[in-house]
Order: sequence, then structure tokens, then C-alpha cells
Amino acid sequence: MSIPGTSANHANGQDTKPTITMSAGQMVSNQSSSIGGQQLIDFLPSLEDYTPTIPDAVTGSFLNSAGFASTDPRVVRLISLAAQKFLSDVANDALQHCKVRTSNQSSKSKSKDRTYTLTMDDLTPALAEHGITVRKPPYFV
Amino acid sequence: MLGPLKAQRKVLSAVAASTLIEAGFDSSYDTALETLVEILQSIIVEIGNSSRAYCELAGRTEPLFADVLLALVNLGLHISDLERFAKRANSIVIPAPTTSVPAKQLGILQAGVKPSHPSHIPAHLPVFPDPHAYIRTPTHKQPVTEYEAIREKSAIQKRDIERALNKFETKINDTDSLFLSPDTIFPVIACKPTFPPYLVALLPKDQVFELEDDDSSKSPQRKKGKDCIKEEDDNAKADVDSIDNPYLRPVKLPPPKIKIKDLMTPS
Repeated sequence: MSIPGTSANHANGQDTKPTITMSAGQMVSNQSSSIGGQQLIDFLPSLEDYTPTIPDAVTGSFLNSAGFASTDPRVVRLISLAAQKFLSDVANDALQHCKVRTSNQSSKSKSKDRTYTLTMDDLTPALAEHGITVRKPPYFV
Repeated sequence: MLGPLKAQRKVLSAVAASTLIEAGFDSSYDTALETLVEILQSIIVEIGNSSRAYCELAGRTEPLFADVLLALVNLGLHISDLERFAKRANSIVIPAPTTSVPAKQLGILQAGVKPSHPSHIPAHLPVFPDPHAYIRTPTHKQPVTEYEAIREKSAIQKRDIERALNKFETKINDTDSLFLSPDTIFPVIACKPTFPPYLVALLPKDQVFELEDDDSSKSPQRKKGKDCIKEEDDNAKADVDSIDNPYLRPVKLPPPKIKIKDLMTPS
């Protein structure tokens, strides 16, 4: 199933962080040059007994559909973690949008126990920050 | 039974929902959740695709940790926060989907005996299917062509028609009773008296004189309607059948005329 109007262009140079500049050669030979990389290398053994939220089987299956076949479960777990981290960032941004929107909208009826509902109005700007454009589908079938 | 992709997407939607709950949301619209699932799926596939591309660029077949890191960096994901994210407090773990056990194949019911191959078919070819798959069997009863049975049937039919007609007549016309008390069990069709009772006998009308002849010519016509196939045979056998048919009365010859002469002449 695909959502019309959802275009995920991750590979389009969304790297806005200027500090991370590395190549594969640097990664393998000169790991100490990048702080994030070094941290991750240290983190790698702890992935051995870490269970990400996404089951390994599901991630592995989607990776296989991309032609990625790894026998190392740590690599799969790292990808699960990264994907979920991305999703979590999006969700946090959407929550901020939701809070701002509802506080602007209904300032008079300010109740303490307010429930937050994720809507496309919140999700669209949050995704736009990550470079994903979500257009409203022209019609629903 | 869910397809594999559908089951995987179900797990992904559980993951997306748990992520939303961790973030502090209480509920979500279907559209938004579906969008998140779509993004989650596409980001996993994209990381895999990109990692594979880097790994193949380096001349390897199996992706290493470094390839994945490079792919993550190229996608613009912040890898420095990953460890902190992994060690967060309230992480929800989705149980791995259970592998479905394929249903046990039921034993195929053997029907009939499979014939062996004819000589011109090599032995390595598959055996014949069950005979019921290709043997044609008539599903209707063969029509009865026996003359006696047909005649019996026709007699029964004729009797039924007469009986029904009688019953109908007693229903719509007046009835007489055979007994003194009025009864409905044995009704008799009332005779309608005409005023001069002898009038019918006097009035001329088209009369079929040769009653016997007419009867015999009618019977094959009725048979023609019933079964056309037997028509030829019946016409041919008409004479023979009138003799050896048990349902036809034998011809009653009139009693030999008593010659008055003989009576007159005293013996």
C-alpha cells in the first residue's frame, strides 16, 4: 500500500549537519577522526544483547527486499534503531506542533488533562522539517 | 491468513503507535499513522538499499557496520544520538511475529483404481488422475422402451385421467346418491333429464358409425405424441400386438347365429 502524495526523498542531500563529513575509507581506517562514529563503534558490542522495538525479523525482511542480506544481527538492530529514532524525532516534532496548535486554538478552554491526537496537520510540518513533503491526497478512494 | 507484507506492516504500525505513545501522544488519526508506517517502511528499505550500494561499491557482498553508518550519515540521520536513544528508559518492545505453521495437508481420498500407462506413454510421465475425473457416466436413466411397460403406463395414465374427470364432474355438477342417505364417498353423476327423453334418439347428428375402426386409428395417434421413436414399430406390429398384448381384450366374436330354420325344423 502506498499513500498518494507521500514522497520520501531521504537521499536528496538532507545532511544538514556540517560536522559529519566522512567517507567509507575514513570510517574504516581512521575512526577516531569522527566523534559520532567512534561513539557508535563503542556502542556496537552493546547491540549484541539489545532488543529494538522493531522485531529483527521484520527489519530483516524489509532489508532483504532491498537486496541487503547481512548475517550480523547487530547491523540489523542498528538499522532498526536508526529507523525508530527517525520516527521518534518526527513524533516529538509533531507533538510540539500539536501543543502549539491546540494552545493557540483553544486558550480559553484550558484543561489540565488534555489528550493529544496526532493529525495530519501536525505531522505535515514535522515531516517537512525532515525533508519529507506530504501532500494532501487529492481524493480518497 | 495475512500475507507476509501485510503482517509486517501490522508490526510496523504497532511500532509506530508505540513510538507515538512514547512521544506523548494519546491517539492518532489513521491517515497520520499510515503515513508514519509508510515512512518507517521506506526508511528501512532506503537504508538497506543505500548500505548495499556502499558495500557493493567497496567490492564486498555482505554489508558491514561501516557501510550502514555511511548510509545513515548520507541519509542525514544523526548517528550521535543513537546510543542515547537506545538507552532511553521507557522503551517498548514489540514481540516478533510468530511464524505461521502451514496447515497440515489432508490425505487425498482415493477414488477408484488408477489405470496404468498404455504402452506408448513413457513411465516417467505422471500417472492418470482418479478415474472419476475423466470417465463419463450417464447421469439419467435409460428410457423404458419395453412395450408392455409403456402400455401399462399408458393404461394407468388413462385411468387416472378418467378418474380425475369423473371427480371434476361430480364437483361441478349435481350428484346422485346410491344410498338413501346423502353420501359424499360414492357420488354418482346425476343424469340430466331432457324433456322428451326420446328426442336425442330422433335428432339426426354426425355419427361415427365405425366405432371400432375409429378407436384403432386413434390409438397410434396418441402414441405418436408420447414417443415418436416407437411409432414405426407400433404400426408394423399393430396386428401382432392385438393378439399377444395382455392389456387388450381378445376380440369377442358374436355368438353364432342361431338358424331359425334349424329351430323350426323338428329334429
